Amino acid sequence: MKKPKIGIFKFASCDGCQLSILNLEDEILDFIELFDISYFREASDSPLKGQFDIAIVEGSISAERQRQDIMDIRERSRRLITIGACATSGGLQALRNLASLSSYKQYVYPSPDFIDALPASTPISEHVFVDYELWGCPINKEAMVETMVSFLIGKRPGIPKYSLCMDCKGKGIPCLLVTNGEPCLGPITKTGCGVLCPSFGKACYGCFGPKEEANIESLLKQFQDMGLTQNECIQLLDKMNTYAYRKVRLEGR
Amino acid sequence: MIIKIQKYNLSHIFDRLKSSHKLIGPKIENNAIILSEIEFHDIPAGYRDQQSPGCYKLKQGENAEVFSFSPGPDSFKRFLHPPFAEIFRFEKSKKGITISPSNSDEKPFAFIGIRACDISAMKLYDRVFSGEHIRDKTYESLRKNCFIMAVNCIYPGDNCFCQSIGTGPEVKDYFDIVITEIRDSFILETGTVAGERLLTGLQQDRVNDNDMKERNESIQRCGKAMKKAIKFDELPWLIYRNLEHPRWAEIEKRDLECGNCTQVCPTCFCNSSYDLVSLSGVLKKSEGLSGVRIRAWDSCFSKNFARVHGGNFRPSRKARYRQWMSHKLAYTFEQFGLPGCVGCGRCITWCPVGIDITHELEALRNAR
Amino acid sequence: MHDKSIPFEAKIKWIKKETRDTATYALQITDKFVQKKYKFKPGQFNMLYVPAIGEAPISISSASSDHDLMHTIRIAGDVTTHISSLSTGSAIGIRGPFGNGWPLSEIKERDLMIIGGGLGIAPLRSVIREIVKTKDIKRRNVLLYGAKTPKDIIFRDEYPRYSSVFEVHLTVDKADPEEYWHGDVGLITGLLNKVSFNPINTMFFICGPEVMMQNTVKMLTLKNVPAERIFISIERNMNCGMGICGHCFFGPKFVCKNGPVFRFSEIAGFLWIKEI
Repeated sequence: MKKPKIGIFKFASCDGCQLSILNLEDEILDFIELFDISYFREASDSPLKGQFDIAIVEGSISAERQRQDIMDIRERSRRLITIGACATSGGLQALRNLASLSSYKQYVYPSPDFIDALPASTPISEHVFVDYELWGCPINKEAMVETMVSFLIGKRPGIPKYSLCMDCKGKGIPCLLVTNGEPCLGPITKTGCGVLCPSFGKACYGCFGPKEEANIESLLKQFQDMGLTQNECIQLLDKMNTYAYRKVRLEGR
Repeated sequence: MIIKIQKYNLSHIFDRLKSSHKLIGPKIENNAIILSEIEFHDIPAGYRDQQSPGCYKLKQGENAEVFSFSPGPDSFKRFLHPPFAEIFRFEKSKKGITISPSNSDEKPFAFIGIRACDISAMKLYDRVFSGEHIRDKTYESLRKNCFIMAVNCIYPGDNCFCQSIGTGPEVKDYFDIVITEIRDSFILETGTVAGERLLTGLQQDRVNDNDMKERNESIQRCGKAMKKAIKFDELPWLIYRNLEHPRWAEIEKRDLECGNCTQVCPTCFCNSSYDLVSLSGVLKKSEGLSGVRIRAWDSCFSKNFARVHGGNFRPSRKARYRQWMSHKLAYTFEQFGLPGCVGCGRCITWCPVGIDITHELEALRNAR
Repeated sequence: MHDKSIPFEAKIKWIKKETRDTATYALQITDKFVQKKYKFKPGQFNMLYVPAIGEAPISISSASSDHDLMHTIRIAGDVTTHISSLSTGSAIGIRGPFGNGWPLSEIKERDLMIIGGGLGIAPLRSVIREIVKTKDIKRRNVLLYGAKTPKDIIFRDEYPRYSSVFEVHLTVDKADPEEYWHGDVGLITGLLNKVSFNPINTMFFICGPEVMMQNTVKMLTLKNVPAERIFISIERNMNCGMGICGHCFFGPKFVCKNGPVFRFSEIAGFLWIKEI
């Protein structure tokens, strides 16, 4: 069997999700044996040419050149998978979608005229068709393996879209919201991180984005009853998945 | 057999039981009482928990009793129906399919301090997983030879309502030993030969009528002190009559569908099975493909739960909430002849937004 | 008791294409001992298993007196897509049989009307073939079948053979003018209006899409058929097949073990409730 050809691409992002492919550790050799990684900027410097069986895309679309590049990548790829909060929901940099670029550009950069950015940082799915989205900041490597295995054997990846609480309870961690009154985003956040923060007694801050049909309004109301101000509530959502949480909120109204 | 022992003598029973069983009992972790493998000194003696809808606070040693606390989020379910269990390993090659069932050969569990509500839930589990027509080997291998050292509740939890369902607070059957705490002693009653054998030769006092009177009174007092109740006589019809009540749409607004209630509920058994294959499992594809089949907790609150290809039987949140509550308070009577709600109040305490099943049931009674 | 959570292996003996997306697969259980012990009733289903992909509940479409164990499968999800790519001799996993099946004992003294829609004819074929084998024409046997278009008619070659024992009526939602079609055009309920029957002494076995079954049952009730005489086979997303996973609830019923065949009077209260 010919190995599927993979291209790994990045846009506006921190490279953390690409690194989690390198971090597959025990399985990285299996990965290389099964797939032909023909483009990987994190690991090589060759220019883009030819076709791909799978494009793995990290990062959000933040500048006009990126918008053109993603069109080109889609053209060359049979399947396109986006990985990480930036690619799936615009990332932390999507915070700037809430303000206008011109209003703050001069405070940040000494020569603001060189800045060539789109007015908003947006997920890949707003520009091209995405076959599968892997959420998380960073993505979970088991989910990455499941996705790649699913591609090889021809099935939908079995990655749950329910809440973090489901797995948190499965691990036997007493609810931080209920026992300590911590404003935990678990009930509205997709599972997938392996319950990382609650395992260390820290409330979830939403790395994996909104779960299916997240009832954000109800949870925020509970936070307000616990004493948080409306602003503090919104700030909880305004992290790496701000764009996705806000979108769900607007759609829910 | 009924005997009375000094409280510290319970540790001897622990020692005896430890050789044959894994002792599963209450222990404090992360500001809550959880269940795990314990030693005698792990029991959070004297602790009291304050519970209200969506709130749980643990308070240290105000009480003289050992079993002064109420159940925390965990139940026996974590052990008999694990959150994540391997059912079998498979290998597919040109020759065909090979299936090897997975077995565990660990020591059986001894459930220490399990309460009446959870024992009722265990009865239901026995009917679900190893009833008349069903023998689930995964469950049966874990359930086999379990030892049940139950405790009669003398204080109710703030969200408890087992009295109104009749599932507690007294443990009436299904135990090897049941403990009732009176002043500085434990009254131990045995329900099985295994229970009797365990107590044989233990240093003990005679049980007199006064002791038994005190035992009965403290359990009764506990039942009467419960702040919550449901009108059990009206079930299941109150639900069946109101499957299209407008209240379901109201609850939908608050319902987070996080699944906390189903995960902490000792009777919620719903699960999903799926295959798990690693990259190395595919690597052998030239000769074959290998992996494991997993059974994991799922919840009727997850949207995928009622999905079929090209559709969903319960696409709306209100239908999913209705499914959950109707299963608890109506369907299980017909399915297994037992209540699906045992009145432990866990779903009330551990709901992040404090949805109270007793209030919701009451609301169904109100005119449409 | 055999552990029904563990699949056993079967090999595909032959494949017969029915329509563009549906085919009938004859399976032979590999283990001789299991094969001998394996008994099913018409209307029961198996969980068919493609290792690494998953399982799908598929009703048995052969009669118990048939030589081969057959399943008629439409390509829908991952599992059925994979099955469609298998060829004769390929291995597949089976768990089962599950469910209750059609109440054949109840039709002894009565007429029988079988009403199928789309792929819903598959579990009914099991009954049809059973009756055709016994050539039981003391009772009146009627078969109504509706499909989307003539090209979607499943078992199209078999109906002429069944007509020795059954009065067969076929209908399609839409006929293709390009294709020769002399049957009815319209919904199954329209066909039901054209066929006369004794409402008191006829048993009804119905299987098809949920809306089709609801409308058919509604019409039969209007025609004074007692609810006790109507049986419907319900589709749900069975995951375990043995009543321990909770996926297939239809109200208080486990479709996998209390069903998939239900007497209408038993579930009448739930059939019209949305998203039950």
